[in-house]
Amino acid sequence: MIDTIFLILASFALFGAGCMIMLSNTVHSALGFIVTILALAGLYALLDASFLFMVQIIVYAGAIIALLLFVIMFLNIQQSHAPKEPSKYLFMVVSAIIMMPVDYLLFKAFYTITDIKNFSVTPKDFGDVKMLGGELFRNWLLPFEAISLLLLVALIGAVVMARKKERA
Amino acid sequence: MNAILVTVVIVNIILALLFSLGAVPILVWVERRVAGFIQDRLGPNRCNIAGFRLGGLVQSFADMFKLVFKEDFRAGDIKEKFIFRISPVIVFVSAFLSFMVMPFADNLVIGDQTFLMQGLPIDFGILWFLALAGLSVYGIMLGGWSSSNKYSLLGSVRAGAQVISYEASMTLALISLLITYGSVHLVDIVNFQSGLIFGFIPAWGIVMQPLAAIIFITTAFAEANRTPFDIAEGESEIVGGYHTEYSAMKFGLFFVGEYIAMSASSAFIVTLFFGGYNIPWVGTQMLKEHFDIVMIAILIILPILSYKFRGWILKNNVWPKADDKRNNESKWLIRVLIMMNIVIILLFGYFLLFGVASTATNIAVALIQIATFAVKLLLMNFVFVWVRWTLPRFRYDQLQELGWKVLLPLSIANIFITALVVVIGA
Repeated sequence: MIDTIFLILASFALFGAGCMIMLSNTVHSALGFIVTILALAGLYALLDASFLFMVQIIVYAGAIIALLLFVIMFLNIQQSHAPKEPSKYLFMVVSAIIMMPVDYLLFKAFYTITDIKNFSVTPKDFGDVKMLGGELFRNWLLPFEAISLLLLVALIGAVVMARKKERA
Repeated sequence: MNAILVTVVIVNIILALLFSLGAVPILVWVERRVAGFIQDRLGPNRCNIAGFRLGGLVQSFADMFKLVFKEDFRAGDIKEKFIFRISPVIVFVSAFLSFMVMPFADNLVIGDQTFLMQGLPIDFGILWFLALAGLSVYGIMLGGWSSSNKYSLLGSVRAGAQVISYEASMTLALISLLITYGSVHLVDIVNFQSGLIFGFIPAWGIVMQPLAAIIFITTAFAEANRTPFDIAEGESEIVGGYHTEYSAMKFGLFFVGEYIAMSASSAFIVTLFFGGYNIPWVGTQMLKEHFDIVMIAILIILPILSYKFRGWILKNNVWPKADDKRNNESKWLIRVLIMMNIVIILLFGYFLLFGVASTATNIAVALIQIATFAVKLLLMNFVFVWVRWTLPRFRYDQLQELGWKVLLPLSIANIFITALVVVIGA
């Protein structure tokens, strides 16, 4: 049962990713991305990581892609504005071949790190809100604050960049 | 899997259906009648089936049938057929799913099993609501975009900007609530509110967190696309906004989805700020312990209320001509009322005489709590309608200023104050 759900969600994720890079219409690409993100959220739910599942939907699907779609619609990008990519599929195949060694490394790492024989989710409350919060704010407080500082810097940077230049 | 579990799950899903989809005709009726009342006119009250008008409620069903049987027209200019077709479905489904986590009653204990009284028995209801409120905007944005119509596109861009700006304040207002309640599980939150502060005020969210309540209710109006924040459809500026090109039941799905979203927002507000299924001053435990007194109280109050209601019907719905069909309605309504009274009096009398099993008490308490929740839900929905017909629509820049310059700083300040109080209090 779980294997079937996993296969369905994984194929949805791959399908969405494929759509995102192959379609020429920007809105369609964004929709493909949403499909991928929702499928990934489903995979998290399958792993009992309920908090990650919800945050994935709230932050990525609910806010970031909505913002992206808003910008695309706001700029009203037409098909004719997009750059011409005559040898798009050739590039895709070539880059896939170039990436092969990295993929191999990833697989190798995956099979050495995890014990495939009893590959199961750890404790029952593994992805619980309370458990995750406790870990984050007790053991990993400093990295957490550092990341939030980084985000703040990025935010201020964006505001500074977007501000209209005053005429001298 | 046993029979009780399956029954409870099915009953829960039916309840969620009734409260969301089943409430739509009632809400449409409430909206039109209240609008009539506020504008000093009657509102729809003529539509009838064999004389039965139910105060105009039949009109909602007539309207729904009209939408179902209308021609489903799509302009030839619309190229994105699939997206055009699926957008109303996204709005409808996400509004509907967001209702599924509202607890209608406290955890039901039958034998040695405990059941969550929600459509979907999950314990992170707040996150679920936020996620689906965020997803519903896709339906509006994509519907407007795929319509190949300038007004539709304007409507969808407005909807997108509005949801993005108000979701920030909404989430931040919720964080201060989470600090107070210490849980994301809606049943925990409601049970927290069954307590008292200073010994006599119910510890409802609106008393504990008045600022968060105001911010959240405001943003909930914006998320549900209701006036004064309905710039996405603003009919005086951009025709019908995102649903200009939609007709028949595709438009109907948008319409029904909007009402379900309103109902879900109301349910969420009731759960977070108005004690959910709790009767003020009477917790679940107290109801169970003093069930005899509750039954006696109902036995006294119910006939009096029914008598008053009968008098009201006789005063308002009696017509001089003997063969007037409308007199039939009064006759049958009063009969149904009397039958209901007899059944309830017999049932409670039996319980009082021969005593009650604990399971029966638990189920009866759950029923009372479901009724309480329904009453609160209806009142909150009434507030939504009331505001819609009293306040004018915001202009786009005013809306953004309210969102970013007023609500966001206020909600951040509220988090600080709440955290300070919690830390100092502990």
